[in-house]
Amino acid sequence: MKNLRLKSARAALDLSQQQLADAVGVSRQTINAIEKGDYNPTIRLCMAICRVLDRTLDELFWEEE
Amino acid sequence: MEHSMGMGLGLGVLTGVAVGLLFVVVLFKMKVLDMTFDERQKRARGQAFAWGFATLVICVAVYGLSDAILGHWIDVLAACILCVCIAVTVFAIVCIRKDAYLSLKERPRRIMLLFAVLAAVNLALGAIYIRNGTLVENGMLTSRACNPITGIMLLVVLAVYAAKYLRDRKETEE
Repeated sequence: MKNLRLKSARAALDLSQQQLADAVGVSRQTINAIEKGDYNPTIRLCMAICRVLDRTLDELFWEEE
Repeated sequence: MEHSMGMGLGLGVLTGVAVGLLFVVVLFKMKVLDMTFDERQKRARGQAFAWGFATLVICVAVYGLSDAILGHWIDVLAACILCVCIAVTVFAIVCIRKDAYLSLKERPRRIMLLFAVLAAVNLALGAIYIRNGTLVENGMLTSRACNPITGIMLLVVLAVYAAKYLRDRKETEE
């Protein structure tokens, strides 16, 4: 399932996928895969992304009902 | 005489391996090669290793069967290199498709240039052996086939990576 909340949170801070990837220490393709729903990140990576985007885990990664 | 030729070949192989290892160490020191992968890449590489291992097992089995049925059509060393190169090619292609071939710190152009140079050198050696008539002797591929086999492997990996790199760049621009 696509993670559009992550994409919009990243866009809100005017960050490219590469910039977010560099900030959390992963490849751009990994960020792309998370946003497309092709990869489920570990909790550690989720937390690192939340820290950079200043959002909570629920806001970015909890499944929408 | 055959014993001394075998020893000479063995020493030559050991020297080649030692030089190759030294070359790799130098590349790591120069930060051309690196092994820092993120969690997604590590998982993808794990899957690629499984494919590569399965390919290696199949190749070795096919070589063994072919040797038993057809007779000695390839030198043992060349057969080992052929099996390993096919397995490594499968591993590399799976990694490339999953964006897990190059690490976070490796530069694509530098690596591809290195591959191109190594492929060219090995293929050139293969061409020399073909011209000298030493690649095939008595209907059997000799140990000299190791160079063109390695060259072809590097060329295939380079071609697959270049195609993916260009496609990804086009998608990023769109």
